[in-house]
Amino acid sequence: MSGFTDRADAALADPILKIAVERTTGTAEAKRAIAVDAFPDFEAARTRAAAIKDHVIAHLGAYLEQFEASAIASGAQVHWAQTADEACRIVIDICKAAGARTVARSKSMLGEEIGLPHALEEAGIVRVETDLAEHIIQLADERPSHIIWPAMHKTREQVSALFRAKHANPHEEETIAAMAQSARRELRGAMLGADVGISGANFLIADSGAVCTVTNEGNAELSLVPPRVHIVTAGIEKIVPSMPHAIHMLRMLARSATGAALTQYTTFYTGPKRAGDRDGPEQMHIVLVDNGRTKMREEGLAEMLRCIRCGACMNHCVVFRQIGGHAYGGTYPGPMGAVLTPALDGLAPNRDLAHACTLNGKCQEVCPVKIPLPTLLKGWREKSWREGLEPTSMRWGLGFWAWVARRPALYRLGTAVAIRAIRLIGRKGWIDSLPLASGWTKHRDLPKPAARSFMAQYQQEQRK
Amino acid sequence: MTANVALFVTCLVDIMRPRIGFAAIRALEAAGCTVVVPQGQTCCGQPALNSGDRSHAVALAKQTIEALEPYEAIVVPSGSCAGTIRCHYPELFDDDAEWRARAQAVAAKTFEVMAYLDEVCGWKPEGVALPATATYHDSCSGLRQLGIKAQPRRLLKAIDGLSMTPLPGAETCCGFGGTFCVKYPAISNAIVGEKADAIDATGADLLLAGDLGCLMNMAGKLHRNGSKIRAFHAIELISGMGDGPAIGEEA
Amino acid sequence: MTARNAILARLKGPKPIASEAASLLDAPERPAVDASALEAEFLARLALPSVNASHDRIASLADLPAAIARYLTDQQEPLTLCCPPDPRLTACDWSAFTLHADAAPDEGATLAIARRGVAETGSLIFETSPIAPMLPNFLTLHHIVLLAIRDISPHLEDAPPPGPQPRAHYWITGVSGTTDIEGTYVRGAHGPRFLHVILLQE
Repeated sequence: MSGFTDRADAALADPILKIAVERTTGTAEAKRAIAVDAFPDFEAARTRAAAIKDHVIAHLGAYLEQFEASAIASGAQVHWAQTADEACRIVIDICKAAGARTVARSKSMLGEEIGLPHALEEAGIVRVETDLAEHIIQLADERPSHIIWPAMHKTREQVSALFRAKHANPHEEETIAAMAQSARRELRGAMLGADVGISGANFLIADSGAVCTVTNEGNAELSLVPPRVHIVTAGIEKIVPSMPHAIHMLRMLARSATGAALTQYTTFYTGPKRAGDRDGPEQMHIVLVDNGRTKMREEGLAEMLRCIRCGACMNHCVVFRQIGGHAYGGTYPGPMGAVLTPALDGLAPNRDLAHACTLNGKCQEVCPVKIPLPTLLKGWREKSWREGLEPTSMRWGLGFWAWVARRPALYRLGTAVAIRAIRLIGRKGWIDSLPLASGWTKHRDLPKPAARSFMAQYQQEQRK
Repeated sequence: MTANVALFVTCLVDIMRPRIGFAAIRALEAAGCTVVVPQGQTCCGQPALNSGDRSHAVALAKQTIEALEPYEAIVVPSGSCAGTIRCHYPELFDDDAEWRARAQAVAAKTFEVMAYLDEVCGWKPEGVALPATATYHDSCSGLRQLGIKAQPRRLLKAIDGLSMTPLPGAETCCGFGGTFCVKYPAISNAIVGEKADAIDATGADLLLAGDLGCLMNMAGKLHRNGSKIRAFHAIELISGMGDGPAIGEEA
Repeated sequence: MTARNAILARLKGPKPIASEAASLLDAPERPAVDASALEAEFLARLALPSVNASHDRIASLADLPAAIARYLTDQQEPLTLCCPPDPRLTACDWSAFTLHADAAPDEGATLAIARRGVAETGSLIFETSPIAPMLPNFLTLHHIVLLAIRDISPHLEDAPPPGPQPRAHYWITGVSGTTDIEGTYVRGAHGPRFLHVILLQE
């Protein structure tokens, strides 16, 4: 048993989680299908999106330098961080230099990845999560369970109870609309009174130095425009060459995530406020974060850097839809999380993620940038095997199987013996309990094999 | 057209349900092919490949390639095994030009059996009757690696009296995934439980698919649940052997 | 070695060829828009449930205050308006209104002038400038946007302003909303709950 299997078992035993997961992923699947059907030649658009990302990844250094120069020319300050800790340190230093007591955050998975919430707390800085789902999990002291819907695991009843306990002026009606209004009231003052606004970036535009964020709520704009300082933390792979490239990616992003043509708000920030502007931050800082991305590029995971964080893969994954997001144990869940987590947090503690997959390929089919997720997961399986992380019983079992299979005559003998052994155990046509095969028979019956193998029967017939 | 085809029967069919191999031969012969069963075949190596055991996967691939390469075409009653040979064998030899060429040659002439009968032979079963309702599950490897979707349905349509009921979520994975179902049985069970419910809800007499692993997984769950639905590999019906014992009915 | 140099050292490679990046955008796939019926296309997107915007039409700028008064009265809101310091608006007769320049946290109604509209998505295009503050457009409950019909363009590629970029360039595509609780859509999360577009014919 591992951490993963324990968490997966707990998730499987939770019927409320199942309802919550199915509501969100089922809706997302249906809406995406409609949007894709309505789009002209979505397949060609995917190929183009993958090509744009591959082009950027191949020239990532040059594009990052171009972005940095453009951003600086617009009045922003650009910082670089190799590790999660470095990135957090940079952010905290900027906050302290600005005398910040409160920080308003709009949703950023990268912020989650580098551990920014924890770093802010340690530094004694009050953190206001303004995205509704992030606000919910902040109140519940939990981590996100989905990259687009961080509070996917919570039912409305659970959210209602949270808001009643923690909001100053909670909702009266037991409706989702009323709960959203309660959050709006609760967060308004804190959001507008923050000293610093921290966001992620969906895209970084190399030729203009612009940072693009996409949201539905308007919380990003309300968190990032009033404060004196705007800090952006972004993975280095978020670069695109120019605005028209970003536009193509934007067409793919919302459709793949929620089935919409665009999110309600698509904003491009280029530097701090200009002279004469009536609002906007005086300082803009962009922290470019590596945290394993250069390593991924060098070690066979370059295609994973295409990811635009749409969540389509997990919405369509049969495993994710049974166990939800927390079972994955890392920042990112689902198929993309299964590929990323061993890279970010090490293979040994996370080898289950690569194996708990049927390799059915649906994730790759819906990925807007055609990431070969099953292939990348098999890559982790190979690495795990080479590093001796696989259980001994599995190594022995497979080694034995392969040894026999390479000796056809012995194989024929072996299969005859195995058939006889299995048939001894089953009454009638089905076996409901088989030693060494409890993984199967605990939950399903096993059909009894025929008395002789195909090859044995065929060879006999040929001899006639 | 008389093609000389080799049958790669697959280890699962060989051990667990030989009837499928005989059904494939029968259908291929009805389509005008001469069928040979190369004796050097055992397993395509998919379990090793999917476990990350590359060296054993390469060894079994080489053995399989050697056994199959003399033939004009290779036909396989399994989308996942055909997919392994067609799509993954060449990848195993990135650093070995000679074997890569041999793998590509075999890959190019390896076919899943129903795709071969429908698209290469242009054949339909004639005079095959089976009055029943059936529902079809699209196994993932065949569907996504080889584009197996319309071919089985075209072949089944030619069977007199057989009426097909669409399966909601036909393209949703059944949770078999090879070793996945025994390594992560609780998750696999949750997935196949939903699949079994969907199958039962169609009210069909028969469950059909093109991969024995998926069929055993679904049929095993359905039987455990007390369902009366009967499961066959589609090639069994197509070859006229649909009146035989279903999966789990053999004595 | 600085983090910057360490990261760039691991990313050493050839510079991209500009034509390669540009060729990736040859004839991009995008929804078809009837360029001869841009207003109709735009209005069709405004009406989508995901966008959820109401609209009105005026013949000339002089009709603007009356159109806004109509809307606010229909919504049972007072004729109080947060108005941007845009010189184009000074010619209008605002005598029925109480105007103010700065938006309150619970601002009731805000007027803005969109530089462009995009028919492909029903988006309204804005930039920040000394005469166009950004915050009021997000604080407000009712967002009232003036858009000249001649400024409706077919595609998103037509949206960005040329030349040096302003602090913020933003697209508003419908009312604020969220699906964060159980995937159920509700409107008016943090941003405006109501979006009313007034199309100017002149």
